[in-house]
Amino acid sequence: MSAGTNSDAPIGASRPPTPAGPPAPAGRRGPAAPSPTAARAARPRRRLPGAATLARLALLTVGIVVAVLPFVWMLRTAIGPSQTALALDSNPIPSRVQFHSFNQAWHAGDLGPALLTGIAVSLAILALQLATAVPAAYAFACLRFRGRTALFAVVLVTLLVPAQVTAVPNYVTISALGFADTRVGLVLPFMTHAGMIFMLRQYMSTIPASVLDAARMDGLGTWRTLRSIIVPLAAPAIASVSVFSFLLSYNEYLWPLLVARSPGIATPPLALARLMTDSSAIIPDFAELAAAALIISLPSLAVFVVAQRRLAAGITGTGAGA
Amino acid sequence: MEDARCVDDRGRWMTGVGGGRVGWRVGALLAPAFVGLGVFVLGPALVSAFIAGTDKTLTGPHFGWVGTANARTAFSDSDLGGAVRNTLVYCLITVIPAVAIGLALALAAERVAHGRALVRFALFLPVSANIVAMAVVFAYMFDSSPDGFANTVVGLFGVAPVDWLGDTSTALPVVALVGGWRLTSFVFIVYLAGLTAIPRSVYEAADVDGIRGFARLRHITLPLLAPTTVFLGVFVTILTLQTFETVAVLTKGGPLNSSTTIIYYIYEVGFTGSFRIGYASMIALLLLAVIVALGAGGALLGRRIRRAREAAA
Repeated sequence: MSAGTNSDAPIGASRPPTPAGPPAPAGRRGPAAPSPTAARAARPRRRLPGAATLARLALLTVGIVVAVLPFVWMLRTAIGPSQTALALDSNPIPSRVQFHSFNQAWHAGDLGPALLTGIAVSLAILALQLATAVPAAYAFACLRFRGRTALFAVVLVTLLVPAQVTAVPNYVTISALGFADTRVGLVLPFMTHAGMIFMLRQYMSTIPASVLDAARMDGLGTWRTLRSIIVPLAAPAIASVSVFSFLLSYNEYLWPLLVARSPGIATPPLALARLMTDSSAIIPDFAELAAAALIISLPSLAVFVVAQRRLAAGITGTGAGA
Repeated sequence: MEDARCVDDRGRWMTGVGGGRVGWRVGALLAPAFVGLGVFVLGPALVSAFIAGTDKTLTGPHFGWVGTANARTAFSDSDLGGAVRNTLVYCLITVIPAVAIGLALALAAERVAHGRALVRFALFLPVSANIVAMAVVFAYMFDSSPDGFANTVVGLFGVAPVDWLGDTSTALPVVALVGGWRLTSFVFIVYLAGLTAIPRSVYEAADVDGIRGFARLRHITLPLLAPTTVFLGVFVTILTLQTFETVAVLTKGGPLNSSTTIIYYIYEVGFTGSFRIGYASMIALLLLAVIVALGAGGALLGRRIRRAREAAA
């Protein structure tokens, strides 16, 4: 693997993109180059692009169908007639289209307050995480200080600690602070995310040293550099981690399961799980459950749809910045 | 102001004046993050490590130090052994397909000329999915009834209806399918970002040299993606070692513990039944040791690849 890198890396570096016609003779490329054979092997492939393109399209089609199918099935079940395990219907087209399952799920699952709680809690977590992670990532990426490597290693180690390890002590802490069974209690333990620090640091490390030097020459101090140079430059990365953070918090299950005892502050996944448990006492109505699942998925889907462009921009930005 | 200590254009660390003030500023930048990590991750982890040496229960006020008794129990606990086996099977059947399929999809999607946004949208969807909502939908699709979605599909091939979530041989694979479905989407996103980060000039140069098609994939794209692959392999394995939600919603570890993962077993031991939080903490501690070892191994491998690359450049 590294041999391939060794021989290929200088090619890109030494030869800028030119519209040069025929492949260069082997002599110019040095003795280690595998390319003359590769060129001959790859040539005929060029003449039949059909097979490769077809295979690619087939793969993508299957991938997309599998990725989307559960969502489609959720929608199809939600708008179909009531369904129980005794009378299931796997016909792709529901026998009759109706929307009362949404109404039913909304009231039975108390989904309105759950949605509000979920969105408010996720936004509060996001604000706290950005406020703590951006300065820390900046310090790790751009500043030199004693213990930098060790402290960053500590951050990475916290990334590995499973939530179940910290759940009990955190529950004790939150209770002692008087935040058990409150929305603050749902937010506080997530105030910092090591993964966010790590990802932002990685991105900020790619900011060219010359930019930071220029800031220093212009007399910008630590804070001004962070505010007017680093944050704008890292905006795509900040947008990306924000999307991931929101989705993670909104979908969090274990911690609300332990903390949110009263139904009034149930988060959406919790409300859905409770709806499922409650209804399994009798025969569950899958149409109602699917409608509830769809309703609680809407905020994360909405964020995702809106953020798609930002996410794509973040990804392309990574390429452009390098 | 000489206090923004950054690397200079030759990659050396700048050493400005006024070190004391810089230290203070660094402290102010790092403090909020370390308060959060200290109070809610590191501190609790240490407390857990202490509890692991006791016979504490969640409900009882009294507990005593039992030393390594919990560890000895863990190594002779056949239920835990089953959970470890289930977790390894789960990792094997989710991580490898997810990384392979995610890479293949990213390679295919990168070259799409038309409908690029649509392809990305569809393939990003599973990551944004609420796992509880998806578990509900999958539970319905894999219902044991002959008219369920999965049974209708296998029925087309003449297979008799399967009690997917109620059968000891299929429950774990179905749970893994939900996890793998979502994981593949995550792998796809990361690989796509890695592919986009490869400068066009590298491909153009390769094209000039006649390196195309499979040769280009093998000698240029995959080596350049090696750090991404190492990161994904380690990160995704660590993620799947911590599988909880899908098991909790779909099977509750059943039937007959056939889909109990390590984390779900910890939850069962510590938060249900007799609430043996001391023993649960010990299992969690052992798992943490495995995860840290994996993470350190991944970091070392990543560094070695980077070194090799720097030596080559």
